[in-house]
Order: sequence, then structure tokens, then C-alpha cells
Amino acid sequence: MPRYFFNVRHRPGPAGLAEDREGDELVDVAAAREHALSEAEAVIARDDRPATIRDWMDCSFEIKDEDGQLVLTVPFSDTVQEQDEG
Amino acid sequence: MRQPLISPNQQIKQLFFPEVGFSSITTQGSGGKVEIGMVGREGLVGAIPLLLGSDRTPHDHFVQSPGEMLAISAQALCGAVDESASLHKLLLRFTQVQYLQTGQTAFVNARYQIEVRLARWLLMCHDRLDGDELRLTHEFLATMLGTQRTSATLAVQALEGHRFIKAQRGRITILNRKALEDLADDGYGLPEAEYARLIEGA
Repeated sequence: MPRYFFNVRHRPGPAGLAEDREGDELVDVAAAREHALSEAEAVIARDDRPATIRDWMDCSFEIKDEDGQLVLTVPFSDTVQEQDEG
Repeated sequence: MRQPLISPNQQIKQLFFPEVGFSSITTQGSGGKVEIGMVGREGLVGAIPLLLGSDRTPHDHFVQSPGEMLAISAQALCGAVDESASLHKLLLRFTQVQYLQTGQTAFVNARYQIEVRLARWLLMCHDRLDGDELRLTHEFLATMLGTQRTSATLAVQALEGHRFIKAQRGRITILNRKALEDLADDGYGLPEAEYARLIEGA
């Protein structure tokens, strides 16, 4: 299974990206998106926020593959839209 | 993943004196696992339940940072404590410090943001390590701090941005202990001061 890395973008520029160096194995990009949404939901619910984060809704997952290529961006705000579409 | 020392609700057969490396004590519910204590070369793994009259505990005890530990059977330890009032008192003082450490964990979990909790946790590890390098994943760190991996990753990045630590895959290196102490503020130090008073000063 391919490994995807769920880097967190919280502001523009290099200092605004928290790098996921471990990643998770998932079957494909669609599964990576589901994983990102469920992690974002859990993070928002727990709200264990470092001072660098003002609002979780400003954050997004920049998902990269094993070659370091950006494959998908999942804004945390997509969790709200998903619920609306319900 | 991590070597078990004392498993939940199992009769305690052996206790452990870490010499190199250290152990974690965790509690677990349906929402996952959280660390409630850490024991290294300053202490005895299994001291609390056994000295307080129980032959088992619901808490899990396992090796967090690998090294060397001396093992003693529960029977031998109880025998030694029966024979020596001063040993008994010393070990009870250690259980008091462990109780304070767990109380401090409750305090920081309730009152402090993730970076402060991470700073305190790194300091506790550093106290029990030879050198400045800690081997761990963010997944494990999240479990220890009772948070999501994403929050752990963000907190690591925040401390790294200040150059307090250096993070690489599977490891964290402490670069500036003093800065971590300043950040942790009164989240760190109370049980450590009581250890110095009750045990090192004894």
C-alpha cells in the first residue's frame, strides 16, 4: 500500500507547514482524503491547539506521496461541508 | 511495540529498577491511552501498587526508552521492606513523589496548551536519558500527551521553530533545555523538587 504524508498547513510560507515525517499507509488518494477528514474532525473536536493555530478552519492537510509530490489538499473546513451534504 | 513490564490487572511478579532508559505508566479507556507516569533511574517500577498493599493494578507499565533494568521479585522486595524500616520509608517517599508526578500531569493536562505539555514531557524524558536524543514517533507522542497526532506534530513544529528542539523522523533532539524549562514554567518542577527534598536530601 502507498504511504501518504499528512502535512499541516497553518499559514503561508515555509514556517507555516508542520511536516508529517511518518505518514500512513492507505489504499489510494480517495482513502487518504477520508483519513484526512476524519483526523481533522477529531482534531477540531479535541481542540488541543498550540499557540501557532488561531482557528482550525484556517488549516489544511497538504497530502504528499512517498516521492514528496503534493497529491491533494484537504482544508479542515471541508469537514463542515461534508456534514452539510450529509 | 514496547516491552511490557507490568501488565494491567495481572499479578505483579517482578518490579524493575531502570538503570538506563525509562518506563511509562498509562491508563486506558475506550477513547484510547494516556500516560499518567514516568519512571527512570530515580525509581522503582511497580512500587505504588505493591507498597500500598495491592498485588496488581489496572495501569499498564512498559519500557518507553530501551536500556537496562534490574529486576527484583515481588516476594524479595516485600521481604526486604519487612526487614528494613529505612528502606520501607525511602520507597514510600518515592511513591509520594510518583503521586505528585501524576497530580502534576493532571494539572498540566487541565490547564496548559499542548506546547507547554510537550515541553514538560521532553524535560521529564531528558532527566531520565543519557544524552539529548529521544527516539519516538509522533503517534507515540500523541498517545503520551493524550492528544491527536496532528496536534503533536504542530506542537513539535512550534518548538522546532524556536530552535528548542530538532525533530527528525523517529527522533527528537533537545537543543535548549533552559528554553524548554522557561516555556514549561510551573508545569514542570514540582515533583522533581520534592524528589530532591525527600530522597536526594535524605
